Amino acid sequence: MSAVRVLGLAAACLAASPAFALEQGEYRFNGFGTVGITHLGGEDDGRAYGIQGQTNDSWRGDQLSKLGGQFQYGLTDKLGLTAQVIAKAEQDNWKANLEWLYLSYQVDDRLVVRAGRLRNPVYMYSETLDVGFTYPWLRLPDEVYHQVQITNYEGADFVYTLPLSFGSLSLQANGGQAVNRNFFVYDQLRDMDYKKVAGANAALATNSFGTFRVGYSESSLSLDGFIEDRKGKFTSLGYQFDNGTWITANEATRLVVEGATSTKDAFYLMGGRRFGDFLAHVTYAQMDESNAGGQSSWTYGLNYSLTPTVTLKGEYKRVDTYDQGKGVFVKSFDELVSEAFGVTTPRTFDGDIVSVGVDFVF
Amino acid sequence: MKRFAQASLLALATGIAGLASAEVAVIVNPGAAKAPSQSEVANIFLGKDKSLTGIDQKDWNPTKETFYAAVTSKNEAQLKSYWSGLVFTGKGQPLSSVADDAAVVAKVAGDASAIGYVDAAAVNDQVKVLFTLP
Repeated sequence: MSAVRVLGLAAACLAASPAFALEQGEYRFNGFGTVGITHLGGEDDGRAYGIQGQTNDSWRGDQLSKLGGQFQYGLTDKLGLTAQVIAKAEQDNWKANLEWLYLSYQVDDRLVVRAGRLRNPVYMYSETLDVGFTYPWLRLPDEVYHQVQITNYEGADFVYTLPLSFGSLSLQANGGQAVNRNFFVYDQLRDMDYKKVAGANAALATNSFGTFRVGYSESSLSLDGFIEDRKGKFTSLGYQFDNGTWITANEATRLVVEGATSTKDAFYLMGGRRFGDFLAHVTYAQMDESNAGGQSSWTYGLNYSLTPTVTLKGEYKRVDTYDQGKGVFVKSFDELVSEAFGVTTPRTFDGDIVSVGVDFVF
Repeated sequence: MKRFAQASLLALATGIAGLASAEVAVIVNPGAAKAPSQSEVANIFLGKDKSLTGIDQKDWNPTKETFYAAVTSKNEAQLKSYWSGLVFTGKGQPLSSVADDAAVVAKVAGDASAIGYVDAAAVNDQVKVLFTLP
């Protein structure tokens, strides 16, 4: 009896480890993915929608579907290595990209410093953009989430987490650069350089009243053939709440590119309610460009939790643009030129987007 | 007949009360330096407060369900979603976990900085009960 107890104690002591970092030699592998199809319907054919214009009038799986894997390894008890690879379609090609590769150092209980290739934390959902399981939609509200196209940069950041009696406060600041990244504009892929990327954000999580987040990010932008070293500034205000039954997520953003393009103001408001394993949600989103029209949309979604790590989602989104805005629809370069010379007048767009898919983590 | 119905109701009610009386105890080592409040316990088990080492239970069971519902207001799917958000942002690792109540008690008994939750019936004199959840 006592021998068993001693053995048990010894095993317990051996297994006792700091919970906040991997021990030396310890590794973890986690993965996530989405399998989904989406379709744009409406009056006119031949239109394309989305960051890369992959949503159109045929049922396509390459806009939403993706598969990611993350590997973490403890080099020492405090120094860790993290790599994340994501396979998804860019334009019409499937590619596996190294989204993350960084070293992290746990300075103390509250402070982590990281360096390498990191995600650019501009939006509320920036760092889990590709992990659909962590948010209610299949398509994040495009009005907000189409604006910043780079997902990662090379540089460093720190994350400081302060526990509070009513929740916690998390502070993050980052700096670095991202050069030679693809930028999709007017039906073409161009090279974009993001120099001097710098940003900071603060998130206050409360136990009873949800999470408030404010973030700011700036960068010096050079887009091949369009702009040279223009400062871009992005601000985001977010609020999330989830008490197990009622859920809401809201974000307002402003994108300013000095001197070059129009200022973009965008926001979305989402509310939902869980009914057992079902989650029904409604989202209103709007984006306005100074002197260039805008877009608004209503999204209705129904999710079903198949297992605790697999969610089935269905979504209907109605999009309209106004005041000659193109919104998140894709306008071709030819169309832009012919409008500039007054050959054609800018049109407005509308559409019904239906998406069905499954999000999972493992 | 009416009496029979009343008796059945009573039996049912006691049965429910019997089920509900499986309380969950949050336990620390008797030599623990501090006694965290319920909201501090929530922070520890959500990976935000690392001043104590939370010992999780590996599989989803009624004890785990009661604990997370009462302390963090999260069910299994919400908890998985929460940790996915931390794991895939590199901002946190799920707590280390052990198989059952007995293993949690053993671990908390052997580590002054450990904290765990178990069925109240599994508590012995080697650990200290912080508070219980109905």
